[in-house]
Amino acid sequence: MSDDELVLKVEDLVTNFYTYEGVVKALDGVNLFLRKGDTMGLVGETGCGKSVTARSILRLVEPPGRIEGGRILLYVPNEESGNVEEVDLLKLSEEDMLHVRGRLVSIVFQDPATFPNPVFTIGDQIAEVVMLHQDLRKEALEIRIEELRNALDKLEGKGGLVSSTRREKIRERLAHYESQLDDPPEPDPKYKKKAALKIAEDMLRLVKMPAPDKVMMQYPHELSGGMRQRALIAMALACNPLILICDEATTALDVTVQAQVLNLLNELKKEVGTSIIIITHDMGVVAETCSWVTVMYAGTTVESCATEELFYNPRHPYTAGLLTAVPKLHENRERLPQIRGSVPNLITPPPGCRFHPRCDYATGICETEKPHLKEISPGHWVACHHPLPDKGGKR
Amino acid sequence: MRLRDFIIRRILLAIPVVFGVLTITWFLSHMVGDPVVMYINTNTPASAIPGIIRSHGLDQPPHIQYFIYLNNLFHGDWGESTSMSFRPVTEVIAQRFPATIELALVAMVFAVLLGIPLGIISATRKDQMIDHFTRIFSLAGVSMPIFWFAIMLKYVLYYQLAIMGLPHLPGGYRYDSNRFYWFQYTTGFILIDSLVYAHSIPLFVDALTHLVMPGFCLGYLTMAIITRMMRSSMLEVLREDYITLARAKGLSEKVVIYRHALRNALIPTVTVIGLAFGGLMTGAVLTETIFQWHGLGQWAVSAILSADLAAINGFTLLVALIFVTANLIVDLVYGTLDPRIRFG
Repeated sequence: MSDDELVLKVEDLVTNFYTYEGVVKALDGVNLFLRKGDTMGLVGETGCGKSVTARSILRLVEPPGRIEGGRILLYVPNEESGNVEEVDLLKLSEEDMLHVRGRLVSIVFQDPATFPNPVFTIGDQIAEVVMLHQDLRKEALEIRIEELRNALDKLEGKGGLVSSTRREKIRERLAHYESQLDDPPEPDPKYKKKAALKIAEDMLRLVKMPAPDKVMMQYPHELSGGMRQRALIAMALACNPLILICDEATTALDVTVQAQVLNLLNELKKEVGTSIIIITHDMGVVAETCSWVTVMYAGTTVESCATEELFYNPRHPYTAGLLTAVPKLHENRERLPQIRGSVPNLITPPPGCRFHPRCDYATGICETEKPHLKEISPGHWVACHHPLPDKGGKR
Repeated sequence: MRLRDFIIRRILLAIPVVFGVLTITWFLSHMVGDPVVMYINTNTPASAIPGIIRSHGLDQPPHIQYFIYLNNLFHGDWGESTSMSFRPVTEVIAQRFPATIELALVAMVFAVLLGIPLGIISATRKDQMIDHFTRIFSLAGVSMPIFWFAIMLKYVLYYQLAIMGLPHLPGGYRYDSNRFYWFQYTTGFILIDSLVYAHSIPLFVDALTHLVMPGFCLGYLTMAIITRMMRSSMLEVLREDYITLARAKGLSEKVVIYRHALRNALIPTVTVIGLAFGGLMTGAVLTETIFQWHGLGQWAVSAILSADLAAINGFTLLVALIFVTANLIVDLVYGTLDPRIRFG
């Protein structure tokens, strides 16, 4: 795989939390990559570090958490030269990071009930991010010109000296602003806000919000969960980010709304050209929407491959166990199979491979040596000393 | 017109509250002793006492006296303040009210302008040196009795500085009456009168320096409460999910705190500010006495000491009215801060 089609590459990411009970080694060498235009599923059970990975990518890990090592490489196309620049997010200053968040990498969080700010209207909250990251000089000037044209239309056909002098004045100003169109000046804050609100309304229309003009003026508590999640998606997509991370974005929604939101994401990806990371523990969501899957276990990446490949040909014992635990409609079972043991305590994780105490294939090497993510067959990465045999063509 | 309905409903609800206050104070004040004491002194001949009792209706049963009191009250007659040479209570209130309100407002300005920023700084720099200092500063405010603090302030900033011949703050009164002997009150608010009616900048400055110490003293407790409230609600808000979202948008820490967190954190603080305004009226009783401030508080103290029942009842009723009004204002401010609260 050549690097030029990548948009994100995370290498050996380490994040620890310093709690009173001890150091929680939440992420211990996470590796993942995201190709341009792909939708990647990041799956794993609760507490395996999916959300911490997402927050680490945005460097939003709050104290007592700290990112301790690794590289987060973002491939940013340079609009002037047409080249792609490689940026290590962990090396950026906090100030530069502000230009990444919401602009290059956006995130939609799990709970639409608590994430919008309750005291601002939806319109204001979307417009805020637009004003922050977009150059609105042209849009603001266009709005001003349009307003003047409307005023002129109103005066049209009215006689009298007063309206003719006012018409003259408006024409003068209109000509003045139109001459600026090639190189618009820094806009008046009032018009900048108007331009941002217009973009915000367009975004709401894009995410298929019913009655977007009305929703613009409404507060989060006046909307349903599904509508709020749409608004949050609109907010995240408002600046055409390179990457959209959906951190359990559909988990809090009921199944019908969930399906709508997932369809929406798939459509938007084509329209906006954003690459998406979907964090979930729902295998159905992965099968439905993702073209690539990365499986995490206890703070490490264990397997990464195309979705079909993963479902038909899992090579890591953990992934295989996870898949057999998914209930199937055509089987009639009393009990679902489960992986023996339980998730390790991340303050004292098992040495070597973090999965070895629960693994049926573990040997001596698994207890001492940490397996690294390797491409064991074309397009299939696994971190395991004893990967399961390739089942090949069983599709 | 939901806002209008809301205000009307709140005013109607305030009626039983005020009625309860005046009933309880009337009965309590008439329980402490023979009310005739108000109208006599050591020189009153014993033979005159039955006439005084009859003329003030004190020979009537208590409930009749109470209804006479209510009747007079609603006709605008709040009784006579015996400790103020039998002037009508309403007249004394009208004369002294501006002094107290002026002091309370200055105290409030102190408290809000210092308390809110200190609370924010303390919360955003949690467990750093400045946070510890702020917490000690505000803890001192809530633990010190106001009369003690007032005396200490006066002792150091007025008395000690004065005997050392250093520049000092005035120790009492609203202005220097020797220097500005010609001054007459118009509205009763000295900061307004000095500028608008007397056109005298020196008088205005003099009045301000007289306000500093009592104003700060009275406001310190309120400031401490506001600081502590602001700190804890800010800390709580900063843990909310919408703050994470604001950061994920790429907003700078300053914008996150002052735009997204502050407005949410102010909601509980505003409640405290409203309640504290009533508390300021109580605090004014002690502060005014120590700083010879000719306001309602000083009058209330002398009324209590000389069993001036009409004055005590009048003062209590006024404080109750102020409390009710302050709470109404707080509820209205709520609505503008928090869109989830709808009137009606």
